Amino acid sequence: MQDNAPNPRVLLTKSFIDSHDRAIATIALALRDAAMEVVLIDYEQPEDVVTVALQEDVDIIGLSFMSGGQVETTQKIVAELKRRGVDDLPLVVGGVIRPFDVPPLEEAGVREIFRGGAPLADVVATFQRLAKAYRGYA
Amino acid sequence: MTAPHARPDASSLLTAVRSRDPLAIARAITAIENRTSTGNELAVAVRGQVNGCRTLGVTGPPGAGKSSLINALVQEMLPHYPRTAILTVDPSSPISGGAVLGDRVRMAEHSANPNVFIRSLATRGHLGGVTRMTRSVMDLLAAGGMDLVIVETVGTGQSELEVAELTNVKIVVNAPGLGDEMQAIKAGVLEIADILVVNKSDLPDAARTAAHLNAMLHHRGHDEHRSVVCVSTVTRDGLKALADAIEIKFAQLAADSTLAVPRTASARLLLARAVADRAEDMIARTVDPRIDVLVEDIAAGLLSRQDGARTAIGLLGELRPVSNARD
Repeated sequence: MQDNAPNPRVLLTKSFIDSHDRAIATIALALRDAAMEVVLIDYEQPEDVVTVALQEDVDIIGLSFMSGGQVETTQKIVAELKRRGVDDLPLVVGGVIRPFDVPPLEEAGVREIFRGGAPLADVVATFQRLAKAYRGYA
Repeated sequence: MTAPHARPDASSLLTAVRSRDPLAIARAITAIENRTSTGNELAVAVRGQVNGCRTLGVTGPPGAGKSSLINALVQEMLPHYPRTAILTVDPSSPISGGAVLGDRVRMAEHSANPNVFIRSLATRGHLGGVTRMTRSVMDLLAAGGMDLVIVETVGTGQSELEVAELTNVKIVVNAPGLGDEMQAIKAGVLEIADILVVNKSDLPDAARTAAHLNAMLHHRGHDEHRSVVCVSTVTRDGLKALADAIEIKFAQLAADSTLAVPRTASARLLLARAVADRAEDMIARTVDPRIDVLVEDIAAGLLSRQDGARTAIGLLGELRPVSNARD
């Protein structure tokens, strides 16, 4: 169903080593039901996320963390986005985010952090808003 | 907020595509798929380029293992085709218009390889197993210097055959245990195959499925030159044989130039399909009150769909042209 503004394209991803996929599947379905096109991958190296985001020409990246690596992985992805000239591509993070993860994540430029229990409607609205602002048809 | 996707015009985008800039290729595909004015210009500029590279269609029912097979097969083929593109199509929701594009999950082996360009596409209401603009996207990938373009269709039933018109060599992937001889002799997707693949050959029913397909080929007699290849992406059995079989088909294309043009492609058919697409767009999106009357009458059961269609076709020329998606 193509109307005037194209549907946002979203990359949702988690580490291949992290088998907790209920959360990412829940978000993927909610975004699909909100008319977005959701690309899913499990990354091996954080830098791969950026390669995929560029090939898929997505408007926003969502990272799911249910075990470790919240801060380092995010920083590596941010650095790679910068290196490839797309540092303004919005990045949001969700899952198990501990209080001491928040300052470095915010400092890295993460636009939004979703913890367990975040209302799905808020998650969807945030993806919608950031994606549209990035693509320039807000 | 400024739009970092400052929309480059078609010609500067095309220059960047020709210099193989992956981001430019990706954005050009977006423009073509969204049918923006830039996208339409690009599609015209690259038309026919795909004839300069090899194209492989991969189709088969959902869960047959198409994505995993491509992931494994690309490894065999990369030495011959250093720059390979994979288009992988998944269905859009008919309800929301959204889509979950999950084929890439099976192709993680190539995520880091800059010479493998993978793009997930959503059908956006198009039937036939691919997207409306797949042909133009393939042209664009060829313009971006790809040596091989692989098109993976949505999981197909028996009649999603459009990939046959788009690609030089078609493989149909079957999973063990789906259907018997009766399924194998029905018309449809098996007929367009150049190579029939039985995937998951490590599973017990594989030999039986291969036997059914071989029996079908046997029935067809001496004109039948196709083969059945059994593969397993788990054990990697048969992958080399499949890659070789594909190479042989490609070589035959080169030898016989009449085969290079996809055989079922006919300009008349393509025109008819484009007309139907455009008519559908116009009827779905017009605000013309005469169409509204037809719609209401059909909804109320006062008018048959066929009669309504006849009247609507008469009105098509008078409807305001529908603007395409914005850039």
